[in-house]
Amino acid sequence: MKVNEVPQDITYYEGEKRACYALNDEGKYVVVKSTGWEAEDIANGLAVTELAAHLEETRKAVLEGKKSPLCYHMERRQMNADILGKSAGIAVFRVKRHFRPENFSKLKASVLERYAQALAVSLVELKTVPPSSQGR
Amino acid sequence: MTTEHTATGKPYVHYHAAHCESGVTSAFFRDKGVDISEPMVFGIGSGIFFGYLPFLKAAGMRVSTFRSQPGAIFRKVARRLDGDFVVKTYRNPQKGMDELRRVLKTGQIVGLKTNLYWLPYFSERFRFNFSGHNLIVLRETKEGFRISDPTLEHPVDCPAADLERARFARGPMESHGYMYYLKSVNPHPDLRQACIKGMIDSCNLMLRIPLPIFGIRGIRFQARKIIDSPDKLGFNEACRLLADVIRWLEDTGTGGAGFRYMYAAFLQEAAELLRSAELAGLSEEMTAIGHDWRKFSLAATRIIKQRKQFEQTFAEAGGLMHGCADREEKFFKNLRKVAGKMKV
Repeated sequence: MKVNEVPQDITYYEGEKRACYALNDEGKYVVVKSTGWEAEDIANGLAVTELAAHLEETRKAVLEGKKSPLCYHMERRQMNADILGKSAGIAVFRVKRHFRPENFSKLKASVLERYAQALAVSLVELKTVPPSSQGR
Repeated sequence: MTTEHTATGKPYVHYHAAHCESGVTSAFFRDKGVDISEPMVFGIGSGIFFGYLPFLKAAGMRVSTFRSQPGAIFRKVARRLDGDFVVKTYRNPQKGMDELRRVLKTGQIVGLKTNLYWLPYFSERFRFNFSGHNLIVLRETKEGFRISDPTLEHPVDCPAADLERARFARGPMESHGYMYYLKSVNPHPDLRQACIKGMIDSCNLMLRIPLPIFGIRGIRFQARKIIDSPDKLGFNEACRLLADVIRWLEDTGTGGAGFRYMYAAFLQEAAELLRSAELAGLSEEMTAIGHDWRKFSLAATRIIKQRKQFEQTFAEAGGLMHGCADREEKFFKNLRKVAGKMKV
């Protein structure tokens, strides 16, 4: 790849640039700053939109009372029950039980505290979900 | 290039690098007065690799790695260039942070393995749950830590609480506060022998691991999976599989085409150092292989973008990957011969 062939398609790094290696006119490799390539954007975009769509589904399920807010906050932090259990020091089967709203509402403050700590949210946030969808 | 300083006021020059770990390692050596570029580090540390690990998932993404396992580049380079280094992990986050602060106070720069999700200075799009991002901590500041992340253009600040989370995040490939630094280096290392060692090691990794998921066999394995995927997984899931590969190939800071361009840059430098025309020729071949990988990325993204219209191209994309595998197999066999001749 020549220096002038380095893709500079889109600026989806939000102002940041990435280093790429490309050949200069004398055939030597140099570091070139790139603002992004369309192919990366498509692959990354697919993953990002899917995560966002999934999160939105969960948010609606919480509002309908089918899942607990814990589930939403866990997905927002890109975790699963296994990782959340490890982070909060709570057994996975208990974590999964706490995804049910009726179990979640009965939780002791100390358990909630541990979840809030692990997910880096406040206790108030942990018990609610945002009323409208958030852009990720 | 930006100039910063460490806790004792020693100047530190920040270089923009393509990949985190090779950038960090190169920065360590430059800090100690041995000027080695990022591609050189990548080659000496045998960074180039392929592995398809479908059982390992980072944020729901199947892992196809184009480089050796995290931590290996630093250890190999430090050993091959005769450096005295320290690698530590911690069970207790408090202890890990205390030790980091202690080492920073001595004026040492420290490398950390962190979880990308919890690093606040990245934009939301790139923060995914992956514990394998390397960065350098320069010094402690009032608000937290001054960080030189080689994949960014300039040094940044990071609050202490976030850094602690990033270091001790749980999940697949946990880093357990993995921390490393160079104590001292040989000021005049034998670069030539180190390059040859690195090349031979890379060839062995790519050609001789007797498992079907690593090296050239790994590439072929994944290519077969891609060809079969629309029938076995359904179209959407197959697209996801392709997107995962492209993200590891291009999106995760590889310097283009899954480190292949960076390796070509290494071979070019090594050819000059060892005065070998054969290596220069191999460098050109590696560039061409990089182009092939780019072609694969393009074909794959076209499939994802067009959705249902081009169902036959899964076979084409897999075919391109098979082509890469054939070319790389030939390449590494040649490299093994050339490097073997130069070994003393």
